[in-house]
Amino acid sequence: MTKKPKPTTPKRYDDAPDLATRIIRGIERIPSGVLALVRTWQGLVILLVLASQLLLPLQYYTARRDPHDERFAWRMFSPMRMTRCTPKFTIDSKPVNLNTEFHEAWIEIANRGRFVVIEQMAARLCQKNPGAAVHVVIECQYVGKEPATWGGYDMCKVPLL
Amino acid sequence: MAKKRRPKRQRFKQGDKAPSQSPTSSADGDDDEDGAGDDTAASTTNETADAASADAAKADAAKPDVAERGKASRTAKADKGTKIPAPLPAVIVRRERPTSAPPAREPVFWFGFEVAWAKLAVSRFVIFMLLALDAALQISHAPRYGAGDFNVAQVPFLDAIGAGRVLFGASQLALAYMFVMVAFGVATRVLLPLSAAIYAWLYFGSQLDSYQHHYLVALVLVIACFAPWQRPADAEPSTPVRAWAVRLLLVQLAIMYLWAAISKMDRAWVNGTTLSMQMTGTIGSLIAKTIGFKIASVLVIAVELALAAMVWARPAWKLAAPLGLLFHLGIVFTGLEIGLFAFLMLGIYTLVIPDAIWVAVMSKLEGIARLFAKPTWIAWGLGLVTSIAIARLVRIEDAFVLGLVMCVVPLGIAVHALVRGTRPALAVGIAHILALGLWLFVDRATSVTADYYRFWGGSQRRLGSSEVAEYAYRRFTAVAPDEEAGHFQLGRLLVKRGAIEEGLAELREAQRLEPAIARAFVEEARVLQQQGKTAEAIEKAKQATYADPSHAFARALLDSLTGNKPTPKPSDKPDADDPE
Repeated sequence: MTKKPKPTTPKRYDDAPDLATRIIRGIERIPSGVLALVRTWQGLVILLVLASQLLLPLQYYTARRDPHDERFAWRMFSPMRMTRCTPKFTIDSKPVNLNTEFHEAWIEIANRGRFVVIEQMAARLCQKNPGAAVHVVIECQYVGKEPATWGGYDMCKVPLL
Repeated sequence: MAKKRRPKRQRFKQGDKAPSQSPTSSADGDDDEDGAGDDTAASTTNETADAASADAAKADAAKPDVAERGKASRTAKADKGTKIPAPLPAVIVRRERPTSAPPAREPVFWFGFEVAWAKLAVSRFVIFMLLALDAALQISHAPRYGAGDFNVAQVPFLDAIGAGRVLFGASQLALAYMFVMVAFGVATRVLLPLSAAIYAWLYFGSQLDSYQHHYLVALVLVIACFAPWQRPADAEPSTPVRAWAVRLLLVQLAIMYLWAAISKMDRAWVNGTTLSMQMTGTIGSLIAKTIGFKIASVLVIAVELALAAMVWARPAWKLAAPLGLLFHLGIVFTGLEIGLFAFLMLGIYTLVIPDAIWVAVMSKLEGIARLFAKPTWIAWGLGLVTSIAIARLVRIEDAFVLGLVMCVVPLGIAVHALVRGTRPALAVGIAHILALGLWLFVDRATSVTADYYRFWGGSQRRLGSSEVAEYAYRRFTAVAPDEEAGHFQLGRLLVKRGAIEEGLAELREAQRLEPAIARAFVEEARVLQQQGKTAEAIEKAKQATYADPSHAFARALLDSLTGNKPTPKPSDKPDADDPE
């Protein structure tokens, strides 16, 4: 009876590290790599770009007070982008026609609920109408979330939403 | 040619004339991009690396490819029962190409990253020509900048120094010019940092620019300042060029994909609702009829994660390039209003498409590249004269003056050449003509110039600056005499300030251009009514109702003129024709 030859697997790569080992080794080398980067101006540029690109989007998820403001967070086509808000400005209880006060591009941004722009718009109206009460109410409709309302007070006294 | 330059990656063992007893690695960053290199790899001397390369080449010549050898061995054993050679020792030499360049400093992941010169040349041309077009197309948005003296910058300290209409328009024209020059490799070391600074100022100076891809462009430009866009001396298309900035750009891209995927890990995205709301056009209906939005939404996240993992790693480019190109090509067909974002991403993928393809392409175009590098005064002079003539034809505001200012670039290059005792390259003259030619193309072949004046007139009219609005509409009607909107709005403004006859003439021109639109007839009827010409006003109001029977105000006006109904009050809603 002839013995069937044992299948021979070429062992050419047996000593080459597998993917997991490669990844672990790569991760192990990160601290020394970072230290090496700090020593050159090119390395500092790299670190600066990487840090900004990791931290700025992270800031959106952790510390940004305005959920509608997705700038610098790489949230392309996110559900939040579909948010539609209706900012209503009043000066001493009289409604403001925003079209005669601000360029429509700013109104469009306000319709997306961006706090910083709405606050600046309110500040502008306060400046133009000294002593008047500028109230702002923003009603926002979200995709897959309950509607929310922001503001409702005199923004000349409390300038932040 | 490419084969000669870039021998296929080999793995050799000591038994096969391995180069060294110690673990070695190349100076090539590719070896370490997947974390596979040994810790000692970077300390390998150049000599060792070269020796390894030489030995590898010898071994390559002496023996068939490793995989083929294995296959041959197995076949031999099966056929003849011969003994399989013992497993080879462990030392692995991994080089992509022999190079005379000194070893890269640590970390070689960044500083050892090399791409073929052909790839840099192609990507420079494609990316910067796209950026030039994008910049030129932005000019129509200039009127929103500084309108009503209101601005909110991306970063608070820039609020006060955000660009106004004139500066924004001029800067975008200048950027379009500089990007074309950079695309042709002209004065990149000066023009690229300058354009990056101007671009960053425009973008970060106002939140009016909501395009995410303009933020990406701002970053790309800053990173691109550090890339070697100039052809190295005696470089062939296949010559490897170290470019840590290109690696950084690809990593930046990967980070962007990663965050984009994370942002979509939301119930409203995963269940397909968000995508179904965003998708219109052919792709939208195609998705709805085939896989459905739910699966498509999950696929988008998967693709973005896959691209984040692959786009920066050379070994994965063969997968990442087709995947990314298809992904962004799909976005092109979605009909989303995202400007040139998808096209720009396609352009950036020139850096992901494997080098060999660009080497093959550039080898065919090498003659043109050499021709462009030829020094000549004739082309330079012709370029200067022709460009002034071209700038004269551009109707964009201040384009001619700016065109003259831009001649500083070829003049500066000429002075620099004279100082060095050489002549400007042919590319300088050609790029200068093409840069101003792009202005002319955008002016004449797109609606940018007409939109500029339309938007300017519209915003100023709404903000109450009738005088400026009248000027803008006059320019609008001069640039686009066949557009009803310009004549109608100008006519209204003229009537409002008392230039009745001139205003009526404009309104009649609007009626002639668009006889099926009622508003110019209505406006004239109102003017005639105010003048006490009731019979003529009735006739005009009738014409308005014939033009558009569904026009409620026209009907109400006619009723008020013919009966005892009160005169209707015009709507204070903004017109649909000139908001930006």
